[in-house]
Amino acid sequence: MPSCKAPEILRNEAYLNVRCNDEGRGKRSRWAFFSSLSGDRMDFLVNLFQGFSIALSPWNLVFAAIGAVIGTAIGVLPGLGPPATVALLLPVTYKMDPASATIMLAGIFYGAMYGGSTTSILLNIPGEAASVVTCLDGYKMARQGRAGPALGISAIGSFIAGTISVFGMSLVAPSLASFALKFGPPEYFSLVLLGLIMAVYLSEESIIKGLAMVALGLLLGTVGIDPVHGATRFTFGVSRLLDGFDFVVVAMGLFGISEVLINLEAPEIRDIFKTSFKGLLPTKEDWRRCWAPVLRGSFLGFFIGVLPGGGAIISSFVSYAVEKRVSKHPEQFGKGAIEGVAAPESANNAASTSSFIPLLTLGIPGNATIAMIFVALMIHGIRPGPLLLQEHPNLFWGVIASMYIGNIMLLALNLPLIGVWVRLLKVPYHFLAVVVVIICVIGAYSVKNAVFDVGTMVAFGVMGYLMRKGGFPPAPLILAMILGPILERSLQQSLISSGGDPSLFVEKPISAALLCVAAFLMLTPILKRLLKRKTLTGSAG
Amino acid sequence: MKNTGDAVGSFFLFLLGIGAVHGAIRLKVGSPTEPQPGFFPFLGGLSLIVLSTIIFFKGRIGQGQEKIAFGEVGRPALLLVVMIALVAVLDNVGYVIGTFIASGLILRILNVRSWRTLILTSLCLSIGTYVLFDKLLGIDLPVGILVRLGL
Repeated sequence: MPSCKAPEILRNEAYLNVRCNDEGRGKRSRWAFFSSLSGDRMDFLVNLFQGFSIALSPWNLVFAAIGAVIGTAIGVLPGLGPPATVALLLPVTYKMDPASATIMLAGIFYGAMYGGSTTSILLNIPGEAASVVTCLDGYKMARQGRAGPALGISAIGSFIAGTISVFGMSLVAPSLASFALKFGPPEYFSLVLLGLIMAVYLSEESIIKGLAMVALGLLLGTVGIDPVHGATRFTFGVSRLLDGFDFVVVAMGLFGISEVLINLEAPEIRDIFKTSFKGLLPTKEDWRRCWAPVLRGSFLGFFIGVLPGGGAIISSFVSYAVEKRVSKHPEQFGKGAIEGVAAPESANNAASTSSFIPLLTLGIPGNATIAMIFVALMIHGIRPGPLLLQEHPNLFWGVIASMYIGNIMLLALNLPLIGVWVRLLKVPYHFLAVVVVIICVIGAYSVKNAVFDVGTMVAFGVMGYLMRKGGFPPAPLILAMILGPILERSLQQSLISSGGDPSLFVEKPISAALLCVAAFLMLTPILKRLLKRKTLTGSAG
Repeated sequence: MKNTGDAVGSFFLFLLGIGAVHGAIRLKVGSPTEPQPGFFPFLGGLSLIVLSTIIFFKGRIGQGQEKIAFGEVGRPALLLVVMIALVAVLDNVGYVIGTFIASGLILRILNVRSWRTLILTSLCLSIGTYVLFDKLLGIDLPVGILVRLGL
């Protein structure tokens, strides 16, 4: 096997090692693959019940509730997103059980999707980027005295979508994890590359700027000791940099501090629309109009969330566009159509849940929040990827089961307590800003008990501020920084095993397919522009 | 419309790319059959140079994004000064005193006029977070000069 000629340090990598140990890998992956394909329902149910036994333990219930509450709160409060919150809370999880930590952090992510709609509907300010599109019809509904049904359908739709997505995840994830065991270094290289390109492609910013951020992230990921040769790279004699930049420190700077700096620029204006929250439950007519958009949003969100780079934001926009297209009354969209609230809110919740699939099965974080959960798992010595299901089944199934419970908790938290969440909006931003800054300082310091890391965080905060101002998206940078070492190792190992021949990447069918998709995504904007030019020339002629 | 923001941003990225390529060459790039420590940074640096050049020219021909709109930069700048000062003194004065002063200053920057609110909030935040993170969650925060009080 040529790949086994790789240096020892490369062979020590657990998931890359899978390629070397072909016989063992083949047996294990075949067994897992066929058992999952044969639809062993008993196994699925046993695993799920095992997951529930973990998720229903008193402490895990508490952590799921804490995650759901914090998630809803940060979703409600504009100016602090889930990536920053998860990064801020990482130090709290250091001494926790890995499953409990992941359950809490996951709760924050999908909880934020529930809470984000509140500010969109009542203030016309999205608490979350994924709730931007909810403003269009949600705020109009509130103006028409229908804030209650808008908030109600948003919470109920999110619950239905979240539950469908968790169910889909429990069915799809094990099969995908088994399939991923077939992946060797070339496949991993292509997958990571595709993930990074998709993250750029699906972001709302300029593709070229996103790619530049990926390149910068990859370079920042090389700082420290080279894992293959042991050489020090770009440390400039600073011993603190031998371990490289810590992801937590960088994320706190890019998402936490920069967010505060941006918010400090503008004076705080929060005009809460005063309305009655009576009649939160949608009427029969509302239900007749909403059941199909909720289901369509759920399935769309689920599939978009599974894509590396896909996620809650893009799914909400896509589902809104789809609903507008299939609606018999598209003219009502933007004027208070309840479908315009139901579909995107369902989609963003479904996507936030299904975006855990690439993380738990392939070890590829698809967005910035999931990247932070990836870091949390790494801190606990757990490498997300295809072997996670076999090595840590309790964590895998425990997290999935906790999502079922978390969705019920969120429904219970959001509908009856809507008045409380609205009151939270009255907390002045300066208190929130000081708390964020202080927690960032603690978080950065706690990584290595070093003030150097606090300084690094401040530097990345300034960088994040300037990046946002210039339209350079920070999410691809952090994703590239995290995935860079995996990309580098798989590239080097692939090249060593093929004797330096890059055709290996297109000879392997899975790798070739992944690269084709990546190339297609890269060429799409150019093709679009060419087509547009051709159409314009044609019409002018 | 030319975009100076893109020009400045791409210039910095270009310089970083040049620096990365230079550093990679010093580290030794090697070949695809025998990649050396500089191999991957070389590719990353090269990509950054190419992409920053495209951003620069897109900005020059007016295809870049809209001009950067800075709001009131005074408050963000003051916050940065406070944070840099906190970094400089954190080890010596300790977490509680450092964050007490920093919180007060940040609240002042954020237009909190009442001294009572300012002092009480700062005190609650610094002591509350110290108790939560250091005493309850076991994260070692710098004690600084308070070590003399036996804390």
